[in-house]
Amino acid sequence: MTSYSGYMLRRFGQFVLVVFIGINLAFLITHLTPIDPIEQTISAATSFGSTSPEAIAMMRQALRELYGLEGGLWQQYAAFWKRIAVGDFGPSLSAFPTPVSDLIWRALPWTVGLLSVSTLLTWCLGNLLGGLAGYFQKSSMLRFAGVLAMGFHPIPYYITAFVLLIVFGYLWPVLPITGGYRMSMPRGFNVDFILSVAQHSILPVLSLMIVGLGGWFMGMRALVSNIVSEDYVQYAELGGVARRRILTSYIMRNALLPQVTGLAMSLGAIFNGAIITEQVFGYPGIGTLLVSAVHAGDYSLVLGLTTVSIIAVSAAVLLIDLLYPLLDPRVKVR
Amino acid sequence: MTAPLLELSDVAKVYSIGGALFGHRLRAVDGISFEVGRDGPEIFAIIGESGSGKTTLARMILNTAQPSAGKILFRGADLAGMRDRLGFMRQVQPIFQNPFEAFNPLKRVDRYLYMTARRFAGAATQAEAGDHADRALRKVGLSLAEIRGRFPHELSGGQLQRVAIARALIASPALIVADEPVSMVDASLRMSIVNLFKTLRDDLGVSIVYITHDLATAYYISDRIVIMRKGRAVEAGPARAILDNPQHPYSIELKNAVLSPDAAARLYGNRPIME
Repeated sequence: MTSYSGYMLRRFGQFVLVVFIGINLAFLITHLTPIDPIEQTISAATSFGSTSPEAIAMMRQALRELYGLEGGLWQQYAAFWKRIAVGDFGPSLSAFPTPVSDLIWRALPWTVGLLSVSTLLTWCLGNLLGGLAGYFQKSSMLRFAGVLAMGFHPIPYYITAFVLLIVFGYLWPVLPITGGYRMSMPRGFNVDFILSVAQHSILPVLSLMIVGLGGWFMGMRALVSNIVSEDYVQYAELGGVARRRILTSYIMRNALLPQVTGLAMSLGAIFNGAIITEQVFGYPGIGTLLVSAVHAGDYSLVLGLTTVSIIAVSAAVLLIDLLYPLLDPRVKVR
Repeated sequence: MTAPLLELSDVAKVYSIGGALFGHRLRAVDGISFEVGRDGPEIFAIIGESGSGKTTLARMILNTAQPSAGKILFRGADLAGMRDRLGFMRQVQPIFQNPFEAFNPLKRVDRYLYMTARRFAGAATQAEAGDHADRALRKVGLSLAEIRGRFPHELSGGQLQRVAIARALIASPALIVADEPVSMVDASLRMSIVNLFKTLRDDLGVSIVYITHDLATAYYISDRIVIMRKGRAVEAGPARAILDNPQHPYSIELKNAVLSPDAAARLYGNRPIME
């Protein structure tokens, strides 16, 4: 087990390095843009009347302190890391003076809830159906499912989303079409509120599933139909292993390995938010936040969101690398 | 008079290749007849080049493919009407060519032995299954302690192939169908496996259908052989008689292709090759 803990340590070092480089890049890109947010704020504040130059200078100084933009680039850089270490990204420019971290924390549960549910459901259903379709290649029902999945897969996401909106919000208005919960409802941890959240998430989740299902389905079907003809499957059949068992522990288990990697990658990508989904369904998540931050030129918010997503994606990759030797005995930890 | 263990009469297997219009029909196996084990256990070799229909024949004997024509009888019962599939599997066990592909890479090898013991040898507890596994492994020169908890990639090809033979033995079968069992095994281990087959026949009374392209091992262990080419049997009979004095041109060609000491001497003159 010592070799595994050594591997863990090395792999964790890599993770820290990747996150460090990623955040540095994000810092450089945001700070080297020619747009000066302070001058923008000042010009916005002073456009309505004459302000004394002393007042403007004081304002500039106050804003610099607030945004951590005092001194040269190196000093800014040091101040930036000091703030990152305590999870402080400064105040948002567009929602002044709410701190960026507050905005992110407020949006994060919506996105993570929506996307983890839809990703996991899609993954499970896609792999189950795909696996069955690969094994029972003669079943006409599974063939039909394959045609459906392949048919829906290439449709651009926003079209599927709008069709769902039109069908369930207009032609047959049974589901709410916008928001994360009913507007008039007080937020709280009670049955009514949770039911409302679930009801509001049906359409976004459904749209994500319809589009995402095909990829997992086709991938799993191809993997399984390769494994079915492997010697060890025939050998197990000749050895009298029950069919069910062959399907689960000889075929599905082996085919799932690459799919698990794919799942981890998509789970990491959750923190990028589902920009189009959240826009179309008016969902109060990370994607909506990011789009409005870009529109408002709110670069401390963009930097905050980028940092969160850098950490999340690298953490997902780290997690899968740490779990893989446990899932596949052939993977040697060096 | 009792029926032979295995009897093939005029067995053929036809595959359609390509579409209905431009496709053609491939006769992978074409009118093969032979018997195995009429007078007690024996080793019966099926010899042929790649594509001669050996493996198709093996699959039909194992009842995973059905002949297009002809009959395969096991202990006098037609395989086509086989009801008791598990009962048949208990008596007829396979050994595959490449042991690395025959075992699930994600499963521990000993699990195969336990499962077979539980299913075919009536082991009710884990301890009993372990006993069966260890006994079978000792017959092939291994022991449970050596392979317990190992994954296929942690064993050598020779060890794995012997585990495969041990697994087949747990069911105490009457017939083992071995499809090129030594072609993927190191030359140095080949003889130990081939000798193992002899022991199985002599001590345990197991008949073996030994499928190979290797004349030397076939000559060494088989009682009777059939030489196949393009799905047809070109020559059949007692191993020694045929290989010492082949009649069919293909058999002669096969025999000459083996680099025997005689052939080497012809090539290099009568000089000793090594000193």
